[in-house]
Amino acid sequence: MGAIYETKRSFMKKFFYPLSIAVFGVADSQRNLAKNIVSNCRDMGFKGDIFPVGRSRGSVNGIKIITETDELPAGIELAVILVPAPYVAETLDICGRKGISHTIISTAGFREYSGKENRFEKDVLAVVKHHGIRLIGPNCIGVICTNSGLCTPFNPLRAKRFKKGRISLVTQSGGVTVQAAHLYSEEHVGFSKVISIGNKLDLNEIDYLEYLMDDEDTEQIHVHLESIEDGRKLIDLARKIDKPIVFFKSNVSVTSAKIAKSHTAALVNDDRIVTGAFRQAGIVRVKNIREMTVCAKALHLPPLSGDRLAVISLSGGFSVILGDACEEYGFKCPSLPRDLLDEIESFRRGGVVRMANPMDFGDVHSIEGLTFAVEHCLKLDYIDGMVLALFYDPEIAKLLGQGSDDTQQMLDFLNATMSAYNKPIALSFLSERQYIEEYKRMSPFPVFNDPVESIQGLRTNRNYWKKI
Amino acid sequence: MTSPKQILETVISQKRTLLSEYESKQFLSAYQIPVTREFLVTTKSELIHATNIIGYPLVLKGSAGDLIHKTEQNVVRMDIRNDDEAEIAFKDIMKILNGTGGAVLVQELLKGRRELVIGMTRDHQFGVSVMFGLGGIFTEILEDVTFRLAPLDKRDALEMMEEIQGRRILENIRGMEAADLDQLGEILIQVGRIGIEHDIIKEIDINPVIISEGKGIAADALIVLEPALVKK
Repeated sequence: MGAIYETKRSFMKKFFYPLSIAVFGVADSQRNLAKNIVSNCRDMGFKGDIFPVGRSRGSVNGIKIITETDELPAGIELAVILVPAPYVAETLDICGRKGISHTIISTAGFREYSGKENRFEKDVLAVVKHHGIRLIGPNCIGVICTNSGLCTPFNPLRAKRFKKGRISLVTQSGGVTVQAAHLYSEEHVGFSKVISIGNKLDLNEIDYLEYLMDDEDTEQIHVHLESIEDGRKLIDLARKIDKPIVFFKSNVSVTSAKIAKSHTAALVNDDRIVTGAFRQAGIVRVKNIREMTVCAKALHLPPLSGDRLAVISLSGGFSVILGDACEEYGFKCPSLPRDLLDEIESFRRGGVVRMANPMDFGDVHSIEGLTFAVEHCLKLDYIDGMVLALFYDPEIAKLLGQGSDDTQQMLDFLNATMSAYNKPIALSFLSERQYIEEYKRMSPFPVFNDPVESIQGLRTNRNYWKKI
Repeated sequence: MTSPKQILETVISQKRTLLSEYESKQFLSAYQIPVTREFLVTTKSELIHATNIIGYPLVLKGSAGDLIHKTEQNVVRMDIRNDDEAEIAFKDIMKILNGTGGAVLVQELLKGRRELVIGMTRDHQFGVSVMFGLGGIFTEILEDVTFRLAPLDKRDALEMMEEIQGRRILENIRGMEAADLDQLGEILIQVGRIGIEHDIIKEIDINPVIISEGKGIAADALIVLEPALVKK
């Protein structure tokens, strides 16, 4: 710890917050990919200097392409390399001579292409060792950091639309990198960094996790891996990290130890061990990218400290569906005090629905009734959290608000109530897609896509906090 | 009593990679894991001596260094109730084992009806891993098992028992008393410890662990050594 540790941390930081970058492999032509790295960075608001480097004269994004590496200034903090595999080693040598010790190698054609024995890879390793260079990749798309504006994927992205947030993802897949960046943004949880780590020729998941565990812009760490370098080390590190870790481990179908003599060894497969080990380390395991966003939302909410929920829905049918889902995910819906139910019932219009838990609010057409019920239920000491599924659109909003659309005030009230009691409200809207999107965007806290997803989210939240 | 180290030395000196049931249980007992009361006998007088000490009903099993699937080899006789049955079973088993230098294990018949499995294996990625689940024939049929990495703490062990689908088998059901989870947890912790302390042990299978009067007792056990380390 101490000095060495701090040095590694500040070293790693330059991969995400460089003051200047060089992009190797740029050409002023339609088909060139490296030039997109320049435009992606500019789109996302990267403020540092960008030096495109290529073989032919020209310019990209109004910046002159450097053809003579002697013209590269000293002090560049990060190089992104997208030149053909046979030229990667010599490009790294140029970086080394220019004093660049941080590199992202986007180029493919290494071990993923031709197995373990790969000449280009050996050359690369020799050069980086000689110059003390550290690298992300190869075979990756590098880093998207909403805080610094660094956006190194070489496919054109509408990077402006990426939403800033406090999740960071480490992934082995370029496809997942881009898809996750879109999903986090569309779901309004946003992200701080998405790191495409490629073949892990040098830096691997342990290095990234060590950095992210203390990164002040990261509150939740998400990981997607096909292969784990050192499972034991990963688990030991995960235990030290006090931020939620959400893990999507793919490529789990390979069974090991077919010739095992004992039952124990025969029953081992990567998946069972991974499941057990992750639980031990408090890692939240998910099975797809969509679930990562559900976890992202769920873990943003206050902690759910037990199994007891109050459920309010603006539909009798959904009350039943939610009751089933609560049972399926191990939640209870305790009976609510009769006098509270009587008070809530006084808000009814037709007086035709009896209140219970789950509560059918179909007959209450008043925002006061809703806020009263939310606050008084959440405040009960035997209620740990709430599920709220609202039949809602601009017309219903007006009906509830006696003519005015108070949606924003309602969302702010829910947010404040959650904070006041430090209990989660898992909110979803039953509405047309366009309105759901609008309410998600308006809400100061995460909104789930449907009622069942909100209960899945609460399960994640509960299990995570139970483990802490 | 033979120490764990002595047991391993004997097996290694014979270039064997499997401990017999008897050796395996001796080894486990040294780690405070309860095992069935049992004696290894090769003669009729030893047999009678053993039956006198343990008392009926009991179990007779063939025992030889390389014998692992005892039921399939037809060398297990359950529920032996008197001297006559014991002698017939003894002769039978010795005949089947003929020429393998085997012996007969005379073992108490545990009263419990609930069978669990506890095991240890080394995962290439995660190292020493401990398994818990439903035992006996259900181990293979239902594969209702769960794993944790060693060293285990008590919470890990309790979570494993809560995690299997058939967790209710540990509760007070059909007049059988609830299993002592602390005691079972201690077995899980100890099995993990064995894995950590002995690199040469590749796999452990305790199947079944029978719940008898609430306590888990190893009714059968197998310890497998890493061939590469035995030959060294």
